[in-house]
Amino acid sequence: MFSFKRKSTQRGSLALPLTRERRVDARGFSRWAWLAPSMVVLAVLLVTARLGSYPQYVASLVISAMLTGTGLTLLVGYARCISLATGAVLALGAYGSVLLITAAGVPLLPAMLGGALLAGLGGFVLGVPAVRFRGHNLAMITLVFQSVVIILIRESTGLTGGAGGLTVPAPSIAGISLSGDLAYLVFTAVVVALVLVLPMALLLGRFGRNLRAVSGNEVAAQAFGISVPHHLVAAFVCSSLIIGLSGALQAPVFRVIDPDTFGINTSISTLAYPIVGGMGSAWGGLAGGAVMRALPEVLRGLADYLELFFASLVLVTVLFFPGGIAGQLFRLRHRHGGQVTRESVPSAASPVARPAAGKALPDTAGIALSIDGVGKQYGALKAVDDVSFQVREGEIRGLMGPNGAGKTTLFNIVSGFVEGDRGAIRLHGETLPSGSPVTRMSHGLTRTFQHVAVFGEISVYDNVAIGLGGNGIAPVLLGSLLDPFPGGDARRERARIMAALDSVGLAHLARAKARQLSLGDQRRLEIARAIVSRPRLLLLDEPVSGVSEEETGQLGLLLRRINREQGITMLLVEHNIGFLAGMSDHITVMAAGRVVCEGEPASVIDDPAVQEVYFGKAGDA
Amino acid sequence: MTELALVLLGGLNFGAIYALAALGIVLIHKATKTVNFAHGAFVLIGALGAYIVQVQLSWSAWLAYLLVPPAVGALAALIELVLLRPLRRADAFSVVIATVFLGIALSEGVRLIYNAELLTVPSPFQGAPFLIGPVILTREVLWTVAGSLLIGIGTTLAFRRARVARGMRAMAANHRGAQLCGYSVDRTYALAWFLGGALAGVAGVFAAPAKGISPDLPIAVIAAAFVAAVVGGFDSLKGAVAGGLLLGVVETLAAAYGDSALKNAISFMLLFVVMLYRPEGLFPEVKTRHV
Amino acid sequence: MKLYRLIQVVLLLSLLGAGSASAQQGVTEDTILIGALGPLTGGTAFIGAPGRDGMQLAVDALNEQGGINGRKLELRFEAALTPAESVAAAKKLVEQDKVFVLVLASGSTGAAAAADYVRSVGVPTYNIFGATPVIREPFADNVFHGAITDPRTSAAALIERLTRDGDPERIGLLAGSYAFPQANLSVIRPMLEERGFDVTVETFDQNAKDFTAQLVSFLRADVDAVLVLGSFAEAGFAIKQAGQVGLGGVHWVVDGSAVNNAIVPIIGNADGILGYYNAPFYPGQDAEPMERYLALWRAAYGEPPQGRPNIYDLTGYGSVYVLAHAIDKADDDLTWENLIASWERVEGALPSDFGGYDVVFPESFSATDHQGNDHLGTAVIQDGVWTVLP
Repeated sequence: MFSFKRKSTQRGSLALPLTRERRVDARGFSRWAWLAPSMVVLAVLLVTARLGSYPQYVASLVISAMLTGTGLTLLVGYARCISLATGAVLALGAYGSVLLITAAGVPLLPAMLGGALLAGLGGFVLGVPAVRFRGHNLAMITLVFQSVVIILIRESTGLTGGAGGLTVPAPSIAGISLSGDLAYLVFTAVVVALVLVLPMALLLGRFGRNLRAVSGNEVAAQAFGISVPHHLVAAFVCSSLIIGLSGALQAPVFRVIDPDTFGINTSISTLAYPIVGGMGSAWGGLAGGAVMRALPEVLRGLADYLELFFASLVLVTVLFFPGGIAGQLFRLRHRHGGQVTRESVPSAASPVARPAAGKALPDTAGIALSIDGVGKQYGALKAVDDVSFQVREGEIRGLMGPNGAGKTTLFNIVSGFVEGDRGAIRLHGETLPSGSPVTRMSHGLTRTFQHVAVFGEISVYDNVAIGLGGNGIAPVLLGSLLDPFPGGDARRERARIMAALDSVGLAHLARAKARQLSLGDQRRLEIARAIVSRPRLLLLDEPVSGVSEEETGQLGLLLRRINREQGITMLLVEHNIGFLAGMSDHITVMAAGRVVCEGEPASVIDDPAVQEVYFGKAGDA
Repeated sequence: MTELALVLLGGLNFGAIYALAALGIVLIHKATKTVNFAHGAFVLIGALGAYIVQVQLSWSAWLAYLLVPPAVGALAALIELVLLRPLRRADAFSVVIATVFLGIALSEGVRLIYNAELLTVPSPFQGAPFLIGPVILTREVLWTVAGSLLIGIGTTLAFRRARVARGMRAMAANHRGAQLCGYSVDRTYALAWFLGGALAGVAGVFAAPAKGISPDLPIAVIAAAFVAAVVGGFDSLKGAVAGGLLLGVVETLAAAYGDSALKNAISFMLLFVVMLYRPEGLFPEVKTRHV
Repeated sequence: MKLYRLIQVVLLLSLLGAGSASAQQGVTEDTILIGALGPLTGGTAFIGAPGRDGMQLAVDALNEQGGINGRKLELRFEAALTPAESVAAAKKLVEQDKVFVLVLASGSTGAAAAADYVRSVGVPTYNIFGATPVIREPFADNVFHGAITDPRTSAAALIERLTRDGDPERIGLLAGSYAFPQANLSVIRPMLEERGFDVTVETFDQNAKDFTAQLVSFLRADVDAVLVLGSFAEAGFAIKQAGQVGLGGVHWVVDGSAVNNAIVPIIGNADGILGYYNAPFYPGQDAEPMERYLALWRAAYGEPPQGRPNIYDLTGYGSVYVLAHAIDKADDDLTWENLIASWERVEGALPSDFGGYDVVFPESFSATDHQGNDHLGTAVIQDGVWTVLP
């Protein structure tokens, strides 16, 4: 039995891994994890403050590199966008703040904030193309941004001093000079320690979780209400704000800022931060930034070979230690490799959730889904041709038909991934907007995928958490920042997530990464993710394809039980006719884009029209 | 008119080298779905090969064209074998990152061995230029443009016809299907990298007299070649050739009739416009529907 | 601005205290520690690496003769490319390694950032490669400049070369968009316009290889002479392409430090192109000191690659001898103060005074003039090689 009690002394219970460590939530992070990097920064300050002026100078560079790295973790490590524009973003922060001080007489701190905002604006400009481009194309766009910003700085000679650079005035706050190395180190460390809390909360919270979901599987992310463009733009903006601030902090250390300092070479060397530090880890960029910035000073003896050494270091990391520094450190703490498997069947007494609470359902005479005259044409091919049928509330409706019958297209129209040409889809009387998968969840519609689409890099728990909804960019960003404080929704959500996991028998694996699960368990996880929000309608796209026969039977039982206990209406597409017939209350048969037959499983399978679709004309056989 | 012809010729001269470099990137991407950011370093090594053959060994320039491309190709295949093959099982992202830093490692290696601002290689053609009316056409420019065009078109045709290319095309069309049809992924990948590397080698040999050999060559080449490849339609060989020539001409035209300081910016504008309005490129191989 | 000044004063006072306490750092009974910084990687490695090699050559030669006044020299060179790295390297050398003298063997911005720092610490500093005004102004007691002249001197020399063999009316200025050429452009352009020349300016990006557009513009303006502000490689490709666009009969003058003889293989027949050189001979030029110098270089580093040794090798070599003069003239009590004072008395310092080879111009300093060398040799391509005219 799952327990909410903090001081659980039960051992061997299902909920054991969750309750054993007190202050660790199901995602595996300590409650205070978001504060830890700031502590590290202050520790760096304490150690180096006792040393001479040269180590202090280097330490302020290292600390701002830690900030840059954390910004890059958001964008490169989590959102998996290769950015070659870091140099330009740093430049926006640095030039922005220095010009605010020299040309507008703004005091240091507001000027630095202004520089960060300018960089954030640059991040927005940079992020908008991310809505359309991915992979190497996006990398190219960032390279364009990098080059154009540097050319603009170079050519605006009157403002920026052009290629010759701009001398940075000695920093001071309220008349107190910060130009000594120790003074500036203290300033940098305090600012970075304070600011780091924000990106860490984002990384460890909902935003980081959703970014990793988006980079793992965009389609599945959309189906659960995560707007990919919004998240990517937000990632660019947040990351640029942070990196811009880092640029502003570095400027007084550099003494002279010039376009060369922020060139493409800077972009490439900073790209190494999150990689060497560890791509999948919230700590990656921080660790990588610290190491990559400190090493050149430590390894001064290497001189000529330094760049070769760094490039090789990145290659070795990618090849042999894909988890980077953070991966190596955390591996020492808890090692679990390979695939984890389910040890137990769902507990018999799993909590029964009430069906779709909240909104009062409009009276639609027990009809859950109504498909009216839906059509979709590709060129000359009518994939779906004037299809109409209705699914009653609480039933399991099977949808079958040979390849090319139009099942998948219809399925995609209902779930919003394909825009229908004609007709309407109504859920409990409400018309669903055409072709917008992101809004489906808010209408109480969730789905699973033919090819398992769990978010492999995040935990089983987080996969289900995404299924809870509330994935609009504003609540996600806000939630990330508020969740660390007590009294949020987190605890209530946690109960629902664990209940959903328990009902599919995965509660004890909540902290495992989803990719470590077996295929059958990934199917279960998909179901848990789809039912945790207590949807009105669950679309199941070939839920047992590729699964063993034994597992197929178990999944069938599981789905029936969920249907019975939680009253969730299901529309099920499946090629396994035996499974479909055993599961469904009613079956709709499609062929050549049209509905050819509908009824109870036994009668449908015996129907001559269906026989003809599947086996050719009865007489010809 | 004369002036325009001169500008166009100058643009073509550099466009031809962009085209060859872009061709190698596209070829590797087509067959292996890997974007090779180390391509610029391959071109640098090709140019260095020309220096070694022509200047250090004082052999004929033609030997450079003969020997250097297979050597660079072999290096590329070796890199695929040793470095990138283990990564293939991981994700495409890691491979791209690996090629970025591989490129840096290679260029730094070259710089460490030949620590000079610039190494120069004489052109294989030194004779008097041709005069077409008032337009001057030097033998070097003629050879660079005609030679690289010939190689570019030859590669495009070969990829369409030759047996060796069939596996690569099959991989490009359908990875899993190609495997089922008995094409070895390992062999196809190695072959693609060999050919891509060899094309980079040729580009390097052509580039050596026109651009010299300097540490900045890789980044300059890779940026231009990528723009050319994207403009051409990233998976189109003929697109890469056309994109390279177009880029060379547009850059030079813009610099001649606009502001020369904005030359680089203009190539990026071209890229931006193409990506926004024709993301499939100006010369796509096959018309594909976005589903 | 007042606040800024105040901070400067406070800072200066606090550092003065720190400075005098460690005045004799880097000097022992039998050694003197010299620190130097410059780029060893990246696009400007051709400046820092030769600088280091040239200095080491002179340090070894001096030590073989027993050093200076019984003290051997020790050179510690730190790699530094960007401004941040340069300041870090300078801090390390001065504060951690406690060098006695600091040599900035760095290009413009790196040296500029470090110069800002050394001004505030007061360590005797020798800027041997940096030309930009940011390093030279404001004047600092402890910063000296070597063979590379300031932009005004080189601008005057370039104008002299432009008008040397004729009377051009329309001049094309082809300038790189990066720091060094831009600094020169901002000085030379008004000087040319003041003299009534018709000036057409075209720019190019660093390491540009395609100059078609710029040359066509010069063709349109029908220029008589072109002055290239940039590296020799850039100038070489520009001159080569001038032939391809039919910009013939133009008088070419090339700025920048004549790095090596690379321009000739780029262009082929290039006789008559003029420039200046910051040393009396090119490496390879037929002169006795140069032959001996090259033999020394070969003995230390083997057969030189194309482009080496270059002006930075020569300058690095010569600068150590200038330091030797200053150290020699100072009292046995080597303090920063004494060294700066004796440096300001150095007159016509040449390597041969200490048994070296005179491949650099003599350098002289005074209390008000910290520029060691004001002389620029007239360089011209003759019979396919660069030669400095006597």
